[in-house]
Amino acid sequence: MAVYSFYIFDRHTECIYTKTWLPPATSAPDGGGGPQGPTAAQHAPQQHQQQQLRTSSADDAKLIFGTVFSLRNMVRKLGGEDDAFVAFRTAHYKLHYYETASSLRLVMLTDTATPSMRNVLHQVYINLWLEYVVKNPLSPVEHKGGAGVKNELFELALDQFIRGLM
Amino acid sequence: MSYYFAIIGTQDNPLFEYEFGTSKQGGDGQSRFTEQAHHLNQFVLHSSLDIVEEVQWMNGQLYMKVIDKFFTNYISCFMTGGNVKFLLLHQPPQTEEAIKNFFNEVYENYVKAIMSPFYKVNMEVRSPVFRQRVAAAGRKYL
Amino acid sequence: MASSKASRLGEETRMDKVNAELVVLTYGAMVAQLCKDFDSDYVKVNQQLDKMGYNIGLRLIEDYLAKSNTFKRCSNFRETAEMIAKVGFKIFLNITPTITNWTSDGKQFSLVFDENPFADFVELPDDGRAQDELWYSNILCGVLRGALEMVQMQVEAKFVSDVLRGNDTTEMRISLIRYIDDELPPEDD
Repeated sequence: MAVYSFYIFDRHTECIYTKTWLPPATSAPDGGGGPQGPTAAQHAPQQHQQQQLRTSSADDAKLIFGTVFSLRNMVRKLGGEDDAFVAFRTAHYKLHYYETASSLRLVMLTDTATPSMRNVLHQVYINLWLEYVVKNPLSPVEHKGGAGVKNELFELALDQFIRGLM
Repeated sequence: MSYYFAIIGTQDNPLFEYEFGTSKQGGDGQSRFTEQAHHLNQFVLHSSLDIVEEVQWMNGQLYMKVIDKFFTNYISCFMTGGNVKFLLLHQPPQTEEAIKNFFNEVYENYVKAIMSPFYKVNMEVRSPVFRQRVAAAGRKYL
Repeated sequence: MASSKASRLGEETRMDKVNAELVVLTYGAMVAQLCKDFDSDYVKVNQQLDKMGYNIGLRLIEDYLAKSNTFKRCSNFRETAEMIAKVGFKIFLNITPTITNWTSDGKQFSLVFDENPFADFVELPDDGRAQDELWYSNILCGVLRGALEMVQMQVEAKFVSDVLRGNDTTEMRISLIRYIDDELPPEDD
């Protein structure tokens, strides 16, 4: 099993944390989809994948958020308010999604063989995010521009936790 | 029989005073001090503070029993860990046990009263609840 | 049914213990200091407590969600009320206020506190105003407001009576103003 990257989005839709576990050059294709929406994402690699490889990570984050946000809305429309969007996969990667009731969204990209990471993301939320970011009295409540998230304890623990899985 | 109870702060400043009468043997709980006695009581009580300072090191107890006597007025003392003195003026010697119980109950309620966040050290205790409880303790034991 | 589920959830969630009196005295010292800092302007003190509570609520909700293992949103405001009273208050203060006085539209209710741990030992200052102006436990209103905002509910919370003031009960009124919509990502150009 391999974990490629991990993103956190806050309730203001801003990407407040990203981490990749492989150097970008060798990394698997990043979150595509974008304007083409959910149906395209389910299918084979996209044509403009090549260009996307070179897009900056900030753009990746935006694309990923746009995708998961529309997917989640679509899932709710089709499956009812209680339905939850969990993951999608392409030929190259699988994207796992976890959203808390406080509208914090955790996204993780792994290889395609990985089973559901929902539980793992939940653990990241309660054991790492909560303990090291929320409970840190010096970290701000709103993490504008990622403020307060990138602290050493959180980074270390996250890295350890994810490497432990691989 | 009448009682005069006072709490004296760490700077020998009065924090609380209360006069009451016995409720035992058909007493109605009203104090029967004469007009002049009010002032005399305060004076007698405060003059015993010197003795408290001597007695307080004699035994490690909070309750020091009767420490002073002025004619028929006896003074019993109880000192809290925070150096606040409870003094009770009574006439014929009461049973030590009854006074001890009274002090203990007052102490318990005193601690609650000063735990109020709006109370500051050596401030007069003005809580009406505390006054009621002192009265209740007096009725119960004296 | 939702009611008993909430009770069970509240019971099951065990918390580490912190000495209650330490909390009570800390909170008391803080309120007293605020009263001093604002020269006994109790309206300002109330505001300040509410603000502090709000900031606590914004964070506390995450802890609540994790501890209570909440995945789903409440389906209606009544369920929210149950969760607040029987899970939230149970987890953090180990009390369970009573939910009453619903308005018919289901958007306003009262929490009646039979016991209020914050108010132990407390007697309001006898300056003749505190009894009418100070809401001693006003921080709780802010906490609820902050916490509910994070789960997309804008509410107004305020105390309407307090035993410390000599009322028979301690009652907080909570009104749902609106559900907050998801924020949309900014348009890309």
